[in-house]
Amino acid sequence: MHKLIEFIRSIYLVVLFVVLEALAIGYYARSTYFTQARLLARSNAAAGSVHEFSAGVRRYFRLEAENRILLDRVALLEERLAQYDEAANIDRLKRYMLDLGGSKFRVMTATVVSNTINRAQNFVTINRGLRDGVTPDMALLAPGGSMLGYIVDCTDRYSVAIPLLNTSFRASGKLEGTDYFGSVYWDGVDPHSVLLGELSKYAEPKIGQRVITTGFSQFFPENVLIGWVESASMNENRTAYTVRLKLATDFARLTDIILIENRDACEVLDLQARQEDDERFRHQ
Amino acid sequence: MYRIVTYSSLFLVTVLLQVFLFDNLSVSIYLNPLIYVAFIVLLPVDTAPVTVLLAGLAMGVTMDFLMGAAGINTMATLLMAFLRPYILASFYSRDDLRDGGVPSPERLGHHVFLNYLIVLVAVHHAVFFSLEALSWSHIVRTVLRIVASGSVTVAAVWLLGRIFTAKFVARL
Repeated sequence: MHKLIEFIRSIYLVVLFVVLEALAIGYYARSTYFTQARLLARSNAAAGSVHEFSAGVRRYFRLEAENRILLDRVALLEERLAQYDEAANIDRLKRYMLDLGGSKFRVMTATVVSNTINRAQNFVTINRGLRDGVTPDMALLAPGGSMLGYIVDCTDRYSVAIPLLNTSFRASGKLEGTDYFGSVYWDGVDPHSVLLGELSKYAEPKIGQRVITTGFSQFFPENVLIGWVESASMNENRTAYTVRLKLATDFARLTDIILIENRDACEVLDLQARQEDDERFRHQ
Repeated sequence: MYRIVTYSSLFLVTVLLQVFLFDNLSVSIYLNPLIYVAFIVLLPVDTAPVTVLLAGLAMGVTMDFLMGAAGINTMATLLMAFLRPYILASFYSRDDLRDGGVPSPERLGHHVFLNYLIVLVAVHHAVFFSLEALSWSHIVRTVLRIVASGSVTVAAVWLLGRIFTAKFVARL
């Protein structure tokens, strides 16, 4: 008995270490980007206000550049509006608006509270939460209107979004002016570029060509700019292109962002769920 | 007793520095210094191995919670805390260890302290960044990240250590 106690005394440190390490590994192995975002959202309840203060200081120094981008954007929208006014005769536009019954997208703005770009799993925290009507699955766009990410988890005052610069992020993108699409993801290499994979071998991507979102996503509206083609290469068995994109969004200096909610998302999800149920039913 | 107070404040300071300063260094993908390891590095040399391990657990869990990193900080810090007594023993004679005190360049000698610091940071950063990458295909990049972030961490911890031990002198 005495010997047993001696033995346990001599190795209890190793045992303790192994047990604790195993617990940590177990937790990490079961974690997804969703659990990570949830963890961050919970800790923001405590750290959020300090983050917000330091973000406010940083933001002040970027106001000028931000203003310029916004003005450019306003000019662009003004121009487009003018085109509308001229081209569409008022009667037709009226009927069009009646059909549409309001836009299917709801838009609001928010400020980035904390943001990293130097990890493989980066997250963006913004200063709007459930209280302001933010819900998971809303899309985030940069002030210039380019793709940024989507909301994963919310607390009352803050929300955590998964940005393009997270190796778990997936979205679909297509070459502008064509119908060839592929999946957009980040390989964790360069915070200024992402990959567009599984693009058809007939697509012929050209350097500098714009890549925009498709209408397949529940999160993002159609035709949101993702980036520009930087280089393209065929995969080994020559069935598809992998294209490197220069990102339109500058993640290193994010301050204000645009939030977009797809009001039809619930309906689409319901429909998909019902279809899956049907299929399962048929298989039985 | 006063050790507990100083080490609690060191814990707090390293956590705050990490979360609000070093985590916001959005400079490069290669630069992610994890300076919170300073807390484990600067524990007194005569601290019981169990205490070091539990301190590592506390620090790792805190950082995981604040970074939303789900376990990698804990794994890396635990391993580092577990190995610390052995690393200390290999650089330092047993009698000197029993004397206790904060590890510092003055006490251990510049060379020994730097070696001790580099080994601990290397262990921690190696585990952290390889787990974060979770693939061998980016091995060169991962090594680069370990080296770049590790060097910044070593420099930051060295500075923190100087400030921390300087405070002791002022008090005594």
